[in-house]
Amino acid sequence: MLLISLLFIASFSKEAIQTVLNTQDTVELKLVEVYVAPLEKYSFGQTLQKIDSRDLNDFQGQTLADLLQQRSGLFLRQYGPGMLASLTLRGTSAGHNAVFWNGIPINSPSLGQADFSILPVGGFDEATIHYGSSGALYGTDAIGGAIHLNNKNTFNKGHQTRVASTLGSFGRWNQLVEYGYSNGLFSSRSRVYRNTSKNNFKFKNLARAGSPEESQSNAAIQQIGAMQDLAWNIRANQQISTSIWWNKTDRQIQPVMGSNDRDRQEDRNFRAVLDYFRFTSSTIWNIKTGVVLDELQFNNSLNKTSQFLISSDIDWTISEKLKSKSGLRLNHVIGNLSTYEAKEDRLELYQSINYLSSPSLSFSVNLRQMLFNGDFAPFTPSIGTEWTFFKNEKNKFSAHSSISKSYKIPTLNDRFWVPGGNPDLKSEESISAEIGLNHVFENNDFMISNQINLYSMWVDNWIIWLPRGSFWSPENIREVRNQGLEYFTTATRSFGEYRFEFNGSYNYTLATILNNLSENDRSQGNQLPYTPKHKAQGNLRFTYKSNSAFVNGHWIGERYINTDNISSVAPYGLLDFGLSKSLTIISKVKATVGFQVNNITNNDYQILRLRAMPGRNYLININLTL
Amino acid sequence: MKNLRLLGYLLALSLFIYSCEGSGEERPLGEYEKGLLIINEGNFSSRDGDISHYNFNTGEVQQNIFEKVNNRPFAGVIQNLVEDGDYFYIVSNTGKVEIVNKVNFQSLGSVGGNIDDEDPELIQPRSAIVVDNKIYIADYGPFNASFANPDSFIAIVNSPLGGEVAKKAKTSSRPESFHQINNDLLIACSAARTIDVMRIGVDTVGRSIEVTGTPVRFLEDGGKLYLFTRNSSTVFFHEINKSNYSISNTTEINISRPTSKLTLGENGEAYVITSTGWPDYNDAVAKISITSGQVIDASLYEGNGFYGLGFDYFDKNIYVAENNGFQGSGTAVVINQSGTKVKTIPTGVGPSGFIFKR
Repeated sequence: MLLISLLFIASFSKEAIQTVLNTQDTVELKLVEVYVAPLEKYSFGQTLQKIDSRDLNDFQGQTLADLLQQRSGLFLRQYGPGMLASLTLRGTSAGHNAVFWNGIPINSPSLGQADFSILPVGGFDEATIHYGSSGALYGTDAIGGAIHLNNKNTFNKGHQTRVASTLGSFGRWNQLVEYGYSNGLFSSRSRVYRNTSKNNFKFKNLARAGSPEESQSNAAIQQIGAMQDLAWNIRANQQISTSIWWNKTDRQIQPVMGSNDRDRQEDRNFRAVLDYFRFTSSTIWNIKTGVVLDELQFNNSLNKTSQFLISSDIDWTISEKLKSKSGLRLNHVIGNLSTYEAKEDRLELYQSINYLSSPSLSFSVNLRQMLFNGDFAPFTPSIGTEWTFFKNEKNKFSAHSSISKSYKIPTLNDRFWVPGGNPDLKSEESISAEIGLNHVFENNDFMISNQINLYSMWVDNWIIWLPRGSFWSPENIREVRNQGLEYFTTATRSFGEYRFEFNGSYNYTLATILNNLSENDRSQGNQLPYTPKHKAQGNLRFTYKSNSAFVNGHWIGERYINTDNISSVAPYGLLDFGLSKSLTIISKVKATVGFQVNNITNNDYQILRLRAMPGRNYLININLTL
Repeated sequence: MKNLRLLGYLLALSLFIYSCEGSGEERPLGEYEKGLLIINEGNFSSRDGDISHYNFNTGEVQQNIFEKVNNRPFAGVIQNLVEDGDYFYIVSNTGKVEIVNKVNFQSLGSVGGNIDDEDPELIQPRSAIVVDNKIYIADYGPFNASFANPDSFIAIVNSPLGGEVAKKAKTSSRPESFHQINNDLLIACSAARTIDVMRIGVDTVGRSIEVTGTPVRFLEDGGKLYLFTRNSSTVFFHEINKSNYSISNTTEINISRPTSKLTLGENGEAYVITSTGWPDYNDAVAKISITSGQVIDASLYEGNGFYGLGFDYFDKNIYVAENNGFQGSGTAVVINQSGTKVKTIPTGVGPSGFIFKR
């Protein structure tokens, strides 16, 4: 047990100096946790941001999309509340980010992206954002970055029960029940949840003469799911853990204003992962197997994909200064789509090295090669470094930098969709460079950290579907340059039992189209559609004893609706407010009660053009643990 | 602020009085009364169809004039722009028809588009016509499981300024366009390959006349009434007997892969877009003669993404709408009679047709 713990801390130690965004989390590590191989370990030179666990609590049962939109600097293209939501990281497209659940990739192999609206908060215990191109570390799709969702299980906790309920406007009712039992050798946790919303909010229908106020119809959501985590310490140096997650989301698809579509979509997702870890004094050997089954039924059209994964790697602490991870991953993909069937094998070999030349200077080198369907994906190397160039009792300044190559193999739909799929597509490729500066000031009751990242990325062979006669077909046709700035700040100030905290971020994103598709195309030099240049977000939290209050705001700049950059959707800002109080009801029963008002100013806004969004709305959270 | 609004109101009132007092000829020209109107279909996913206006004298282009005038997006995919009396009927195949003032594009009314409706009034409207102060709207109806439209209908609204659908009359599958003749409406149905005949006032389809090829629309040329139809290697011009609507004569012109995009020229000539299809998708404008049944020039002008055609009787130029793969806005390429590019005009998204107001 002790051995596991030591390695655990050693493997996380880089983050302590890497970024202040997650310095605090390392402190939380307990000796009794189930080991989770940190996918992000070999990432010196890039930024990871762990979502605050209180944010996860505030958003219990809501979508991960809502959480990221309101509490991070990332922009999500949301087609309505609870509707399809795709992430754009550093100005890339929806499929240009990799999403992992407990270390296995869960982007749909047919669509090449994840729908962040069917990943409910409560379906995982922690979420981490990896900013920036990281294909060498994670494989396909990680052009703009990656999102990691992990379960965090513990030993030695005895019986634990949690009941979380959320009631809110527009018929929202989210309910979660969890029971866990663990001793020193075995840990089990079961969870079931049900999240529903009628989504019958009022909005101004801009598509009708006079823009009358109407109630949204055909937008109801019902989601149910179950999760099971198990872990065994089978020997002093061996551990097995598994997580199984089944989730079903049945949605009426909110029609765009001015249309009377009555579409219905049901997503059924099954994910299972089994990890075996064997620890020695200097190595951690991991065998991971995973299954990801996705079914998407849109009206009467059923699309199914299956992924069967097995990977194995050895994480080797060669010396104090040198660490290495070597591994391979095999992914067998089966697609049974409404218009085609396809199968393929994806084999990846990867090697990562951390070199800590001194306590203040560290390097990561990552290499990865994927073979899919007998073809080589682009070879992806990356190198990153982190340098703490000034440090005293109160201040720490550090700089980081990285250069990386990433790729996205064409999706199954891109290659095989009937009609129009193009089997000759090449992988999309990117080259990215970034630099960053980080300052932390800390004394007894005050801490402030500031971090700024500047990046520049070039993406080529970008796949676009173009109309070809009576159908559409994809081509490797676009070239894009993404440049931007990310700024993060955190400050905390304590006065005795009072505590103020502020977290904020600002993203400036230029996603510039470099080429015209044809002689009469006028998109060169323009910003990619639905990619805001500006997004700012801030959260101020006040805590007194067991009471807390927060104000959260985010502001999103203008989004062009087309590559011509003529029409755009107006900028908008939303303010949310919340209160919560923890109390002990009877000796062992603890309760947290929260109340939130979202969109306090009742702003009429759209994220995407003509997709109605709700005005002021209310939530009540009740969380019981025993 | 209040004063400003009052001033604006008084100003508008004075203009109104002025225009009432003045004779018809002296009335100031509506902003969009003259010039070129470009129909931009828009992207299906973003519903960004709108109309562009091009001023022939100044060369100025205004995009999205519906949104500009009415301060809200049109919010639809424009299938057709029908002129009738003082109005334009903007037909969106996403389920609504908006009625605007013909000269200034001010919104006057609409049919359909009500998101509350569990049973929408319009499903996939394609075209409209006004007869006896009633709007007749041709609607595909819903798709069935095999993407056919067996329940197509004509929706009838009892006011030219829109409102509720008073009646739905069943038609053959996929009604595309109307022609009013005698006391009847002829309806070209593309999937059924028929001309449906509806007696005005009775408002039910009395009979269907089968035709060769897929019907597109009716054309009038040289005093004759034609139905334009096509298949993958031929365009057909079925001359319709104006009293009993039988096909009295058919002109067949063999031309490879014609599209439905056709515009009449002069002297019995017409222009049609052809597309080679897979794998090159090269498009061309072909010049044909309905009178002689011959192809005059199979590729007067070549390119990609051709999506609409227009003919300017004023200078005999041909307007080719290029959709730019629906990646942002398109372009109108103006070519002369010898197929040489004269100029280009930036359009909105998915330009599909032109209306000339010379």
